[in-house]
Amino acid sequence: MAKKMGRRARKFAKKNLQSVMKRKRKLNALFQKKFAPRRAQSDSPEESKNLKNDMQTPVDPEQEILDGIVSTNPFGDLFIKEDDDSAADASDSDGYLSEDPECPYISEDEEESCPEEMCKDVVLLEQNTEINQRLKNQKRKLSKLCKKDPQFSKFLESRRSEFLKSKSEEIYSDDEGDTSSMDDEYIVGNEISQVSKVITSSTVDVWCWLVMEQPNWPGLANLLNAFRAACHYGLDTGEVSPVKIANREVFCKILTFVLSEAKRIFCGLLRISGFSNKETILKMKNKPEWKTTRSLIKSFLRSSLFLLNQETDNQILVFVLSQIRLSILLFSAFPSLTKKLIKISIHLWVTGDKDLSASSFLILRDIASEFSLDNIDTCLTKGFGAFIANSKFMKPQNIEHIEFLENSVVELYSLDIQKSYQKVLMSVQQLASILRLALKTKEKDELKKIHSWQYINCISLWVKFVSCNYKNHDLEQLLFLIIGVIKGIAHLFPGPRYLPLRFKCVKMLNQLSFSSGVFIPVESLLFDCLEIRGTNNAEGTKLKHLDLALLLKVPNQLLKSQDFQQASVLSAIKLLAEHLSQWCYHVSFPDLATIPLILLKRFHENTSIESVRRPVKRFIDQVQQNSDFIQRKRDEVSFSPKDKESVDSFLQLEKCDRSVAFTKFYDNMLQNALA
Amino acid sequence: MGKKRKVILPPDLPPEVADNDIEVSDEDLEFIGQNREYAGFLTKLDTKSIDRHVKRVAGHESDDLEALYEQRKRKASLLKRNDDDDKLQVDPVDALPVKTLDGKLEYRTVDRTKSEAITNEKDNTEENEKDMSVVKLTKKEKRLKIKKSRKEAKKEAKVEEKGNVGVEKLHTEVLAKVEEDLSAEELFRKKKIKLAEIGLQLLENPEENIKSLKELLKNCDDGNQNIVKLGLMSLLAVFKDIIPGYRIRLPTEKEMEMTVSKAVLKQRFYESTLLNSYKAYLAKLIAMEKKPSLRQVAVRCLASLLDAVPHFNYRENILAIVIKNISSPDDTIRKLCCNATKSIFLNEGKHGGEATFEAVRLIAQQVKIYECQLHPDSIEVLSSLTFDEDIGKPDTQAEAVKIKKKGKWKTPDGSNKLQGSEKKKTRQESLAKTREEVTADFKSVSFAPDSRERKRMQSETLSAVFEIYFRILKHSTDSHASRSTTDAASFSHGSSSLPLLAPCLKGLGKFSHLIDLDFMGDLMRCLKQLAGYSDHGTIQNPLSVSERLQCCIVAFRVMRNNLEALNIDLQDFFVQLYNLLLEYRPDRDQGEVLAEALKIMLCEGKQHDMQRAAAFIKRLATFSLSYGSAEAMAALVTLKHLLQKNSKCRNLLENDAGGGSLSGLVSKYQPDATDPNLSGALGSVLWELSLLTKHYNSSISSMAASIMSMGSVNPAQSQVFLSTASPLQAFRDSSILCELSKPTSKSATSRQKQRELQKDYVLMDPEVMQNGNLVDEDEVRRKLEDRFAVHKVITENERLRKELNHTLSSISLYEEYNRQKKQKRRRTTKRVLGD
Repeated sequence: MAKKMGRRARKFAKKNLQSVMKRKRKLNALFQKKFAPRRAQSDSPEESKNLKNDMQTPVDPEQEILDGIVSTNPFGDLFIKEDDDSAADASDSDGYLSEDPECPYISEDEEESCPEEMCKDVVLLEQNTEINQRLKNQKRKLSKLCKKDPQFSKFLESRRSEFLKSKSEEIYSDDEGDTSSMDDEYIVGNEISQVSKVITSSTVDVWCWLVMEQPNWPGLANLLNAFRAACHYGLDTGEVSPVKIANREVFCKILTFVLSEAKRIFCGLLRISGFSNKETILKMKNKPEWKTTRSLIKSFLRSSLFLLNQETDNQILVFVLSQIRLSILLFSAFPSLTKKLIKISIHLWVTGDKDLSASSFLILRDIASEFSLDNIDTCLTKGFGAFIANSKFMKPQNIEHIEFLENSVVELYSLDIQKSYQKVLMSVQQLASILRLALKTKEKDELKKIHSWQYINCISLWVKFVSCNYKNHDLEQLLFLIIGVIKGIAHLFPGPRYLPLRFKCVKMLNQLSFSSGVFIPVESLLFDCLEIRGTNNAEGTKLKHLDLALLLKVPNQLLKSQDFQQASVLSAIKLLAEHLSQWCYHVSFPDLATIPLILLKRFHENTSIESVRRPVKRFIDQVQQNSDFIQRKRDEVSFSPKDKESVDSFLQLEKCDRSVAFTKFYDNMLQNALA
Repeated sequence: MGKKRKVILPPDLPPEVADNDIEVSDEDLEFIGQNREYAGFLTKLDTKSIDRHVKRVAGHESDDLEALYEQRKRKASLLKRNDDDDKLQVDPVDALPVKTLDGKLEYRTVDRTKSEAITNEKDNTEENEKDMSVVKLTKKEKRLKIKKSRKEAKKEAKVEEKGNVGVEKLHTEVLAKVEEDLSAEELFRKKKIKLAEIGLQLLENPEENIKSLKELLKNCDDGNQNIVKLGLMSLLAVFKDIIPGYRIRLPTEKEMEMTVSKAVLKQRFYESTLLNSYKAYLAKLIAMEKKPSLRQVAVRCLASLLDAVPHFNYRENILAIVIKNISSPDDTIRKLCCNATKSIFLNEGKHGGEATFEAVRLIAQQVKIYECQLHPDSIEVLSSLTFDEDIGKPDTQAEAVKIKKKGKWKTPDGSNKLQGSEKKKTRQESLAKTREEVTADFKSVSFAPDSRERKRMQSETLSAVFEIYFRILKHSTDSHASRSTTDAASFSHGSSSLPLLAPCLKGLGKFSHLIDLDFMGDLMRCLKQLAGYSDHGTIQNPLSVSERLQCCIVAFRVMRNNLEALNIDLQDFFVQLYNLLLEYRPDRDQGEVLAEALKIMLCEGKQHDMQRAAAFIKRLATFSLSYGSAEAMAALVTLKHLLQKNSKCRNLLENDAGGGSLSGLVSKYQPDATDPNLSGALGSVLWELSLLTKHYNSSISSMAASIMSMGSVNPAQSQVFLSTASPLQAFRDSSILCELSKPTSKSATSRQKQRELQKDYVLMDPEVMQNGNLVDEDEVRRKLEDRFAVHKVITENERLRKELNHTLSSISLYEEYNRQKKQKRRRTTKRVLGD
């Protein structure tokens, strides 16, 4: 139910349909579970509150870090701006287009095609019939009265006209502000067509046919008005719609037809082949046709945005978004609408499910790549802000979503490195200064700021950004800064409790090292976990699966458990393999592996955890094997370490083939992890 | 300060005021000294300031003014008391009346409080609420004026005796009046005032008022703990001030029998009273030290006494208590005691070194009694000891030192005298001149013990210190031996079970040059055992890596300072270091210690055996591949040093087929060998450097590059650019904080020539993205239809409701209509009737 109804509809139900609300409340429990991550922010404060209470970590410091990140950098005004936007939304209401009076209307008597049958909402229907019954009774009573006393009907008439007068005055005083902002030039208010025309399915068919046949058919305005009415359908906006939609088929037809054919229609009107890039739009603005089409286009865009705002069903939203995307360049002519579109898309991108999120991201990406610089800026800042606001918590359910969001932000920022570099640098410097403060003061609050998902996700976002773009751009400074920050984090949180956090750091360092080709020593960060010693009794608190990826800090009760030790040793080996595999063709691999090998061998001898012995042994053997292999190879060569070119060309052939056993071992390891 | 005033006046110092003047006004002066208030008040009558003050209290009747002044006086002393207290709580030293320019101590205190009283007069608030800032402000404002007025007061006091008498009368009257309405709070306040008054008198004229000490002492038996505390603190202030600069020796019976002058008798009485009260005070403090609620105050008093008057009688008793508390679990008490002990060690001139020895001996006893389970601070204090090696080398030199010392002693005394000589005191002092000369002579003899004595004391102290250190080491090795048999869980607490080891090692390092040769063998054995490496890693050794490194460092320090000539094999320590490099964990162990160990063991000292040097070079290179930038940097600096010193090791830089010829016993490099001499590192090549040049940290990569280039440079030349940086410095320079604060440039230059938008996806799979967009249109259609249906029903519902409401309201309107109709009808009938 919540999915089917728009916001207005829900409000109405709340007011008038108590029994429905009761049922809804029952259902809500189910919905909450299903949709909590998606709609948490937008739907009801209660829901999100519950959600927050579920989290183990307290909310306040997280909020702080967000504020910390957000407030002092260019992304800062993000949340303040939003209010202005909503205010603008309210005043920016659109009207109907002036219609072509010649337009054919085919009246059929198909209006009452019993939508009740289709509607599954029995409660509402029952209520409707009940009210209808009461209404009939009361009307009968009234007519009796009128019959008895003809004077009374006159009295009633006068009263009613008085009432209407006063009411219309009220409306005008309320709406004055709104009407002034309307585009009066082309859009004619509702007073012209007070009598609403009923649009039947055959009318729509004829219209569609006409529109497709004649690009310049004047009845397009009527069609767009109908489209607008359809978008606004069911929402009591106070105004009388000039068109009335006869039934659901008409409704459906209008929406789908206009949305999917909009591009072709407007292209035809403007006599261009398509919206390929910005230049065509600029050219188009100078064409004489633009004047006449502008209002039509604007009406269409507005209505679609309205639909996006109202609709709650994911699939419909995806459909609308994908259709809008085809003619996205039309938005570039209307900056205010573009802003709205960005806002809606960001909202859907962050809160929507997989498909919806993806399609809204595509919209954002199109805007960022095609539109003016101003819009790119908004996209970047808002996108980052939304990501940060949504990355406070990591749960098994949203890990994928957050990763997607992260990837999309990287995509957005990678579009124009020149532009985004400043932003990224600023953000990383912000992170660095938080870290520096924490390193100096070691205060609990400062540490908490860093020890939060927001901070870590932010870092990992920029790590991804750097590693994606390092090859093509000069990002060295940024790289070094980020490495410094990550090393600082690892340094700031020693001890086994923070091993998950440390693993994340090492992973990021490996990622950076892979993409940039610089050498980043990480081994010493991993040796610690070879020395954790816990009690060997794994009684009772045996966890099904300990996912270190979802933790930053190990809860105390797990610290001594065998599960944790096992998980940490295995992760350490994985990360070590990652690190070593990068240099497994390098001439100094044996030396790089020396210390890890010594320590791992010792660990293998001493460990009491049987379950890790085998993987550790296997790893040791593999490393040793590769080490011996490189040793053999380098004994054959005659160049010295300082001979840089020779060193670089050492075993390059094998590297390209990925033929060495260790590579295979590592690839296997990766596949196993995925499986 | 008081004690300094007592110190003998150099005979040639001329008194400031003519003798005849003093004789005439002696009594007056005394009166003024005791009742300075009145004089000050009198003189102020005609100054501007008093006018202002009168205006301030304008609310009172002019008749009450005198009473007000009385009140002010009372308050002044009260505040003085409070002021003393407040300050004593902060820092007892500050509580002492600060000497003004003309050398009068007590006046300033009084004046200050008086001005406070004036400012506080208007708002009759609790004295306790007064804060320090007020004091400072008023003090500065008024000091000058007050000083001037004081001088005038002295002159006028001689003339206007009448006024004095009058005021005194008033004073007693008002006091009597006040006493009548004494509440419990009043009592407390009154006691405080009394304490303050007595204290003040004592400070003003200790000779005359010495008996009041007993009264003060009595106060300390009060039931109210606050009073007790106040009493103790004020006594502390008094004693610190009046205790003379010499040790009091009570006269023997024989001496008592001798007939002496009046002045000597007076002095004897004074001294014995002082000593007895002091004894009683100490007894009280020592008793209170056992009560938990008063312990802090008692220890504070004792510690500051020890700090201020270590030369005086009963020092042993104080010292015993202070040392007893030196490892107290209470942080403040421990800190107080540690600081007092440190000041004993640092200011040996105050007590001639005896106290130092006593303190060290007491600490040694503590360590023995508690079996080394003390707070590290208690051993830490020993590191502030200083040992003068020059004492008594040749006799002449010692004599010179002695003379110099004597001179040093005299000069400050003299200057003190100079300032302390005040008009009012001069007479007394001139009377006591001969007596003081005698005592001064005695002091100068007893306080600068001859060099032989001092040397003996110092060597005893030293041996006591080393006794402590060795006891700790012995205990550590013993427990180490016993602990290794217990379970591995104790490993994590290893360092905390030997709390004294770290400061002990530090101390040994500091005094390593003083260690007796006889101890050397034992010491080395201990250190070797402690640093001991076992194949099974840290489980067997309860010491942390840092502590073991410390052991190595100490051993090297000791060797270097004493017996470079003596051949003790340090090979074991090199083995330790070689293996400890693997045990080191960046955030668990102290990197500075590692860097220092590298510096002392590898960079400094003799040239190393080639095998060993090569082994270390190889290990350090490997080490820097695995560890963070700071550690790597320290290792590389050391490596460079080693390469510079051992030119033959530069073969490691070259992949030379002949390299193997140098490798003695072991021809192939064994990376996991535990003995550097058996690692065969000479046969290896420093391939690590090629990877290090790719290091993200630019300083490390450039360092690696510079090391690589060393091989090709002529050995003679390379000596020129011997790097000066020590490993320790390198470690600090590349710490994480430094790394973070490097500046970053503001722009990114694209490797692509022109700025253009990147249209390709960098991360995501474009096909997946496009496919994800496909929607089932039928499904959408169905959903749209559903949506329509729902909305339709809802709109219908809304419409029906509206209509229903409308009809209902219409029906309800009918009644109104009827009413109106009736009225109308009535009106028409009326009109009809009226017509």
